[in-house]
Amino acid sequence: MAKRALSMNLNGQVVGPFTVDDDLMMIEFLHEYLNLTGSRLGCGQGICHACVAILDKPDGTSEEIRTCITGAHFFDGKKVRTIEGHAKRDAKGEVSELNPIQQKFIDQFAFQCSYCTPGYVNAATVLVEKLQRQPVKRSELEGEIENALGNHICRCTGYVRYYNAAREVVEGLGLVKEG
Amino acid sequence: MRGLFLAALLLPLAAQAAEQSSDKTLIERGKYLARAADCVACHSIEGGAEYAGGLPLVSPFGTIYGTNITPDKEHGIGHYSAEEFYRAVTQGERRDGGKLYPAMPYTSYHLLKREDSDAIYAYLMSLDPIAKPSPKTDLAFPFNVRFGMTFWNMLYKNRVQLEPADGKGEEWQRGQYLVEVLGHCGECHTPRNALGALQQDLRMSGGVILGYEAPSLLAKDLAERGWTTDDLATFLKHGISDQGSVFNEMYPVLHHSTQYLPLDDHRAMATYLLGEQPPAPRSIKAVAESELGESAARGRQDYLNLCAGCHEAAGKGVPHVAVAMDGNTTLRLADSRNLLRVIDDGIREQQFTGFERMQPMPGFRDKLDDGQMRDLLNYLRQTWGGLETEVTPERVAELRGEAPSH
Ligand code: FES
Ligand code: FES
Repeated sequence: MAKRALSMNLNGQVVGPFTVDDDLMMIEFLHEYLNLTGSRLGCGQGICHACVAILDKPDGTSEEIRTCITGAHFFDGKKVRTIEGHAKRDAKGEVSELNPIQQKFIDQFAFQCSYCTPGYVNAATVLVEKLQRQPVKRSELEGEIENALGNHICRCTGYVRYYNAAREVVEGLGLVKEG
Repeated sequence: MRGLFLAALLLPLAAQAAEQSSDKTLIERGKYLARAADCVACHSIEGGAEYAGGLPLVSPFGTIYGTNITPDKEHGIGHYSAEEFYRAVTQGERRDGGKLYPAMPYTSYHLLKREDSDAIYAYLMSLDPIAKPSPKTDLAFPFNVRFGMTFWNMLYKNRVQLEPADGKGEEWQRGQYLVEVLGHCGECHTPRNALGALQQDLRMSGGVILGYEAPSLLAKDLAERGWTTDDLATFLKHGISDQGSVFNEMYPVLHHSTQYLPLDDHRAMATYLLGEQPPAPRSIKAVAESELGESAARGRQDYLNLCAGCHEAAGKGVPHVAVAMDGNTTLRLADSRNLLRVIDDGIREQQFTGFERMQPMPGFRDKLDDGQMRDLLNYLRQTWGGLETEVTPERVAELRGEAPSH
């Protein structure tokens, strides 16, 4: 398989160029080239959503992408965030503060083994960012959460708590309007 | 004396039993025929009672609804006699003399055998009546004037004329009846004229329905796309074969109809379609990367980025996940319509007979711009489709602009 150059903006930093196989999947690139192992390989078939990363689009919107079925070169020249990019870090690079979603998932005991958690954090982040652009009516909140998280599989079945936590984050940030 | 009495008592009982069992056989046969004719697909809605009607059929002329054909007296066909049923099915005429729309494929069913119609009638009459009104059909003028159908019928009603069966074997003949009449395959796989009538001279050469192509079923075209009699029979039985899987409008056909037919029927249908001496299937050797045209070479990277995760880099597919591209019949269609539409729309999760299933394929409309779509089509078609011509930018724009009507 031929190789080609690949670089991208990852969690706010430019990485690459690396010379990478044409058909390498993004999750392998994250694991093998960047040592970012927070994105989890679950099904490897696009079903479980454990592996999702966030793609930041030029128009300012963000979107979930499954890295197990998307080639690394798809992200060439693009802006990407993974689970490693959410928390604040101090000067030494140590995590000093979690983002509100991560914190709420912990407070709510939303996860058990945590295998699915990075995917859920990314999905909930995309949801929050969407609602920051356009707050949701209360009557539509559940539907929005279902749309955002509904495809994610948690083998420890933490669904109810994930949903509760997501709801509380969205409400806590004032992203719900009455109606 | 006592014996005589008993005999007198037993005789009518025996006759009754014989009658009942012949009723049962008739109903069973009717059930089989109704399945072969796929009545349920149009006369039910998802999640609704079978045969109670309601399925909207979107046509270029407006929406026509499948009617209630349970024995309910008010909303169904409870008042129909076997004769009236036969007239409705084969001539498109309702009990009250009104005309049916040709969405009901009487143009094919006009060749239905009377005894088969009677068996279907007996089966439908054995179902529970369901008191559900059929939705009102909503057609644009002049098609909303049912009287107009009299005229249409004069022109087109009995147009399906079968190829003479002289010298053909029993299997071929049965296949012909299953394909042409009961299965009414030609209703989708034949182009229609401006008045919505099948173009008989182009019969089975492929039609477009709801934005997708129902591909040509002519033997030479099937062979060109890699079909053998065995594979075609497997496809009808299981919905999946080396050439790919059923999708779009063919998916319900598998689920309501063909999967239930006995294996002999699948063979018969395949034998009819490909002929008793089937043409040799064209086999295609995947074209190497170095031989690709410029656009296809660009498309290769899009394939690796967005498709290879499931369909595999060399197009081998992944069992129970995604079909192979290598050998896939859709890639070999001269027109890129279906390939483009599938990539844009995706395919819902598919359950096949037995334990086989395929995972949902997402739509990539928002991931590929027109140029990338064209490159990807060219890559797929050149590499595994054996097609040398390139898809033009105009064709991509045209297909994408043509909103599928569902
Ligand atoms: S690992 Fe990517 S969706 Fe399951
Ligand atoms: S917490 Fe274990 S898989 Fe979700």
